[in-house]
Amino acid sequence: MEQIIFIILSVLAVVGALAVIFSSNAVYSVLFLVLTFFAIAGHFILLNAQFLAIVNIIVYAGAIMVLFLFVIMLLNLNKDSEAPTPALARIAGAIAAGLLMVTIVGAFKGLSQGSDVALRGGEIGTVSRLGQVLFSDFLLPFEISSVLFLSAMIGAVMLGKKNLKDS
Amino acid sequence: MTPEYLSRFGGILIFILGGIAFVLLVVGIARMIRPNRPDENKLSPYECGEDPVGNVWTNFNVRFYLVALLFLLFEVELVLLFPWAVLFSDAESLATFGTSWIWISITEITLFLGMLIAGLAYAWRKGYLAWVKPDPKPETIEPVVPGALYEEINRQYERKK
Amino acid sequence: MENLFSNTLDGYLFLASLLFAIGVLGILIRRNIIIIFMCVELMLSAVNLLLTAFSVHHNDPNGQVFVFFIMAVAAAEITIGLAILVMIYRNTGSVSIDSLKKLKW
Repeated sequence: MEQIIFIILSVLAVVGALAVIFSSNAVYSVLFLVLTFFAIAGHFILLNAQFLAIVNIIVYAGAIMVLFLFVIMLLNLNKDSEAPTPALARIAGAIAAGLLMVTIVGAFKGLSQGSDVALRGGEIGTVSRLGQVLFSDFLLPFEISSVLFLSAMIGAVMLGKKNLKDS
Repeated sequence: MTPEYLSRFGGILIFILGGIAFVLLVVGIARMIRPNRPDENKLSPYECGEDPVGNVWTNFNVRFYLVALLFLLFEVELVLLFPWAVLFSDAESLATFGTSWIWISITEITLFLGMLIAGLAYAWRKGYLAWVKPDPKPETIEPVVPGALYEEINRQYERKK
Repeated sequence: MENLFSNTLDGYLFLASLLFAIGVLGILIRRNIIIIFMCVELMLSAVNLLLTAFSVHHNDPNGQVFVFFIMAVAAAEITIGLAILVMIYRNTGSVSIDSLKKLKW
């Protein structure tokens, strides 16, 4: 049963990812990427990382993809206006990406970790368990991430205001 | 062998599948028993005699742009705060951490929120969150009748009084 | 080999590397900056999946906390990135990476 769900979710994720890079309309790319993120959220549930699954849907599918869609609609890019990549570059890109995948898979195969990713007891994916780790071992990174947000906010405001002015 | 947590999520899965199946069933039955006589008016997007104008995919207004950018940051901030709220509402986990942790975490969260509020206050203070209003130019109309004529008439009526 | 298509650690390794390679492929063959951006998100997602799989495998929640921070950094990156993208569009009138060729020396 789990294996069937795994295969269905994996096929959804991979097909969505391929559709992202091969669809000519950017809006369809965004929608297929949402599909991929939902499939990955399903994988998180399968791994019993429940909170991450919800966060994945809220942050990635909910906020980031909406922002992408928003920018596409803002700039009116829903027409297919992209210059085609030269065939040589396409072939070279495909070969390079394929070789990268073979290398990664080969390197991982060397680890020979064939064991089942079944849970070894303990609910590590629940909100309170993650919160305990986040607020005991990762207090400083948590605090520093707020500085990151502050800088991102100021940067976005500075860049965004210039865009607003001359429109 | 299915772990216990998966069978709990299995209910949600069955719910989703049931929802899809119900929609397909209803639409399928409707398709089977309805007469199929399309004409031009029935196939138009609005069946009330409105002709649709332009494309659905229009430009969004640039006014929402900065708000959308800031929204993303605050959403992630919310996600980071959520585990803290869950821990704090649970007396059992509070007891395992001890009282010192409570004050440390409150200080931490205050600092965290203070940083973000400082960013928001900066944007607000500089007026970047203000709604970008269209800049209406006051129209100056060149009157065909010269103003002196009006004044003349006014003077005539004043004399009559 | 049969482990590659089941929910074992090998299966997740294979799936994550496949998604990562698709992201790399998209970056290499597409010219649209928005699509390239989305491919970066796809690669980050693949890494998130792998981190979670290893975290469950070792029964150690640290990996999932890392995923949290990756999401936070991704959100900050997207905010700035999209602001820059809109600026590029306003200045050059296109979202093709070829419009930034002048950055080459």
